[in-house]
Amino acid sequence: MKRRALPALAFICAAALSATACSDPTAGDSGSSSDSGGKQTKVDPTARLDGVKLTMWTAQNTVNAPKQVIDAFEKATGAKVEAQAIPDPYEQNVPTKLASGDKPDLMFWQPSISTLPFIQPKQNLLTLDGEEWESKLGDTEKSLGMIDGKRYAAIVTSPSMLGVYYNKDVFKKAGLTEKDFPKSYDELLALGSTITDKTDAAGFYEAGGDKWPLQWQTQVQLTDLDKQWWADLNQNKEKWTDPVVVDAIKKYKEKLLDAGLAQKNYKTGTFTGQADSLWKGESGMVLNVTSFQSQLQAKYSTAEIDKKIGWFPIANSSATGMYSPDQTNGVVAFKTGDEKRQNAARQFMAFWLGPDYPDYIKAMKIPSVQPSVPTPDGLPQASKDQVAALPTAIGVFQAKAIVAPDTHLYLADMLYGKKSPQQVAQAIQDQFAQVAKAQGASGF
Amino acid sequence: MSTTANTPSTALPTSAVRRASGVHPAWRYGRPALVLLIAGLAVGVPLWLVAVTSAKPQAEAITPNLDLPRQWQPGSNYEDAVSQGEMLRGFLNSLLVVVPSVALVLILGAGAAWVFARRKSKLVSAAYALCISGLLLPPAVITIVMELRQLGLAGTRPGMIAVYTGMYLSTSIFFMTGFIRAIPVELEEAARMDGATPQRIFRQIILPLLRPVIATATIMVMLYAWSDIFYAFFVLGGGEKATLPLNLYKVASAQLYLNNWHLVFAYVVVMSLPMVAIFLVAQRKIVSGITSGAVK
Amino acid sequence: MADTAIRTRTQKPAPAKGRGRKVGRLPRAAVHHPWWFALPAIAVFAAFFLVPNLLNFYYPFTNWSSYHPDIAFTGLDNFKTIADDGSLLRAIRTTLVYALLAAVFQNGFGLLLALLLEADSRFNRFFRAVFFLPVLISALATGYVFQALLNQDGAVNGLLGTNIPWLGSTTWTLVLVTVIHGWKWMGLSMLIYLAGLKGIPGEMLEAAKCDGAGPWRTFWSVRWPMLAPALTFNVTTALIGSMNTFDIVQATTGGGPAASTEVFNIYMFRIFGQGLYAQASAMSLVLFLVVVAVAIPLVIGLRRREQLL
Repeated sequence: MKRRALPALAFICAAALSATACSDPTAGDSGSSSDSGGKQTKVDPTARLDGVKLTMWTAQNTVNAPKQVIDAFEKATGAKVEAQAIPDPYEQNVPTKLASGDKPDLMFWQPSISTLPFIQPKQNLLTLDGEEWESKLGDTEKSLGMIDGKRYAAIVTSPSMLGVYYNKDVFKKAGLTEKDFPKSYDELLALGSTITDKTDAAGFYEAGGDKWPLQWQTQVQLTDLDKQWWADLNQNKEKWTDPVVVDAIKKYKEKLLDAGLAQKNYKTGTFTGQADSLWKGESGMVLNVTSFQSQLQAKYSTAEIDKKIGWFPIANSSATGMYSPDQTNGVVAFKTGDEKRQNAARQFMAFWLGPDYPDYIKAMKIPSVQPSVPTPDGLPQASKDQVAALPTAIGVFQAKAIVAPDTHLYLADMLYGKKSPQQVAQAIQDQFAQVAKAQGASGF
Repeated sequence: MSTTANTPSTALPTSAVRRASGVHPAWRYGRPALVLLIAGLAVGVPLWLVAVTSAKPQAEAITPNLDLPRQWQPGSNYEDAVSQGEMLRGFLNSLLVVVPSVALVLILGAGAAWVFARRKSKLVSAAYALCISGLLLPPAVITIVMELRQLGLAGTRPGMIAVYTGMYLSTSIFFMTGFIRAIPVELEEAARMDGATPQRIFRQIILPLLRPVIATATIMVMLYAWSDIFYAFFVLGGGEKATLPLNLYKVASAQLYLNNWHLVFAYVVVMSLPMVAIFLVAQRKIVSGITSGAVK
Repeated sequence: MADTAIRTRTQKPAPAKGRGRKVGRLPRAAVHHPWWFALPAIAVFAAFFLVPNLLNFYYPFTNWSSYHPDIAFTGLDNFKTIADDGSLLRAIRTTLVYALLAAVFQNGFGLLLALLLEADSRFNRFFRAVFFLPVLISALATGYVFQALLNQDGAVNGLLGTNIPWLGSTTWTLVLVTVIHGWKWMGLSMLIYLAGLKGIPGEMLEAAKCDGAGPWRTFWSVRWPMLAPALTFNVTTALIGSMNTFDIVQATTGGGPAASTEVFNIYMFRIFGQGLYAQASAMSLVLFLVVVAVAIPLVIGLRRREQLL
């Protein structure tokens, strides 16, 4: 009767409960046996790999990035590489997919200490120390992709540079020339002031709608914090509520936004709106990373861009650029347990950064990460200036902190009057501490 | 105001029923005009926007407006949406997930509803209350991911089917139980006299009579499951098992820096067509089913 | 089969079933509707709906995250976190306001449409279908459509000649999103109210007319009370259902501006994406409790009203 159903039900429930209560079988599984720190066999970039199939995950904006190298690799080795685009937000969807047991052989991933931990490199990724291409990388590039002294990512493209794109016509109208380029953040704000006063253009274009570019104005002001400070922050000895950070946020609010140096609709400005506005001369300057430039490159020719748009680097107290590693820069390889595929993945990277590299950067029209391979011609002057600024560039906080909090979200709250600068800093600290704690970082 | 018809099918012509305190002439023309206005603004404008933007080239579609396209390219837009948005794969995945879910929900639901409708004990009532709790209670989406991972079903289509079935059984059981209660028990008893087994009674008497509510339950479950993205995101994620809404989400998130409203709306149109088609075909059944099931 | 009803109820042996019932007696009710017909449904429902909800009472008290495979008990840590950083109260307040407004708009629109399209003319039947169209379009798609419409450079501002940031107000955008929610589901409410209106006995309306009641009076005193069952159904499903909302909010505002539209599911989506699974499930538990806390008094209250009227 019904009486039989109850015990059955109870059994089902109990069984399910006890089964699920134990542990998460897919988080960081596989390969918890000896870390592949031992000697790995050297890979020959062009050895035949017929019959080998590799999967590579890319983000939506990198879906075409590996195309050239995949085609060349398939031709040279007979292997098959399938690129799969993971929907945005990439950095959230990939860990979710990994956690459900899905795993690729290769993947684009931001090679920074704040983002690599999301994918549990120790458990999931192959170490790449001592690979042939490692020594060929430029100094700044070499510092990326390392966690606790071990290399987990290959650096395939030059990290994004954070700097100021300016409209040459607007500058001319405001009477500004190269010698007026700022050597500190305060001087940059003064430039904005000049533009706002002397022309109809706005000094800056702030993208409060899309939010993520909001973080840069504050980041530029943090470049004077030294290595020790960041190390202390990562051990909970310093906090984001430090006066330096709070003052930086305050200055952004009071001296830029409240002072009217940004465009009128800064609360709802967009990334694409930035490009349009700067091109049309409605704004004088845009502080953003290289992906901003890609928008222009997609629409206009190098010659047109060179005529209208210029670039200069800026840090808090010097004219130094900042670099921002992003997902397009790093490629990681997974411990799949299949030795053949793992070696094939390493071979793919060696091919990419080895025999194929000159063709790759020529086809993609991007700067080189290897000093020995020259950057191709045909790039806008802005790109060339960025390449020149890279060796001395300072990293953004994503490259220095163990967790990258969503500073842009809290800054957006401030734009809407929901948070004061102090509260923004507090929110950043809260999120930072929460995730650091979940990661098991010491000191939290 | 309105006619005083008791049954829909015997509506008397308004002129015959209007009395002294009847319809004000202004209202007689005003009402349809009002309906037209509301429909035009509320439904017409958004749909027009979708249709028109889906036919524009990218440059015109950057800030979608209500103008007609200066350059018509619906063909290439739809083609792009289908290929870039992997619509065919998404469509197939949606079918592979929704159809079995609906079938399971109907079959299992009908069986349970029959028991709940006919048996009267306290235990049965408790079980019934429990089984329709899903109408109100939210599914625990985070923990179901954990459960699926434990069972090895995370990211799989059977896992998604299991989740949808679990979620929508309550709807199905609710509608069907009410409906079966309205079927005279005598029909079953008569068959029982003839020596029919419960299985036969269920199959040959109950199921055929359930046809109206099957149509309703189908459309209700499809309405939610076909366009669901929240649960599909947690269970399936992106990639090759992604359903149509997940792919739409992918296409639209890229909008952030790709300015592809024209593709987004082409996608929206294609995605909505199956539901609209089903509705147009089965309109009466659906409407009658919903209304009879709800107002108990 | 009607002819079999004439047969006398002779003692028929129980139809052959190996259920151990006594042969020769009239089969008991239990046998006619075997419980195992309901078992598969109950099993699936229990396994994939009840069990996760039960688990929801466990995982929020752990440190389950994407950063380590082991799961340890951590007590009320997660709840402390979400309470301390303000997101608990904010999510509750935002979701309740959303649910209330959504229910008001959905029912308001639905009732209005039902009253307008009450008569069974071809015109009305056509427009009933028209107003049902939004129900058929996916909520996510709806959100994107309105995001495009309500963009600061979008169609609505273009039509009205204004420059209002519709989706950029920390106070009013939430209201706007609930209007969109109401828009999407009003067709369903409309159908229910239509059925309710049709179910009002004609004699009552005749009597009201004989008493000289005008249309407004008839509505308030006769039709509105008789709509109680329809109202119960509509308000309950709208209120409770919209607490579980996600698609429309995600597609129009993504939880912004400044988290003013961050309902429970949006929060869970965001935190799950950060890998903080236990924290997300803590919020999931809170949602469950809030729904129960609202649903029970609501259903009881509305049913009681139904019975009174």
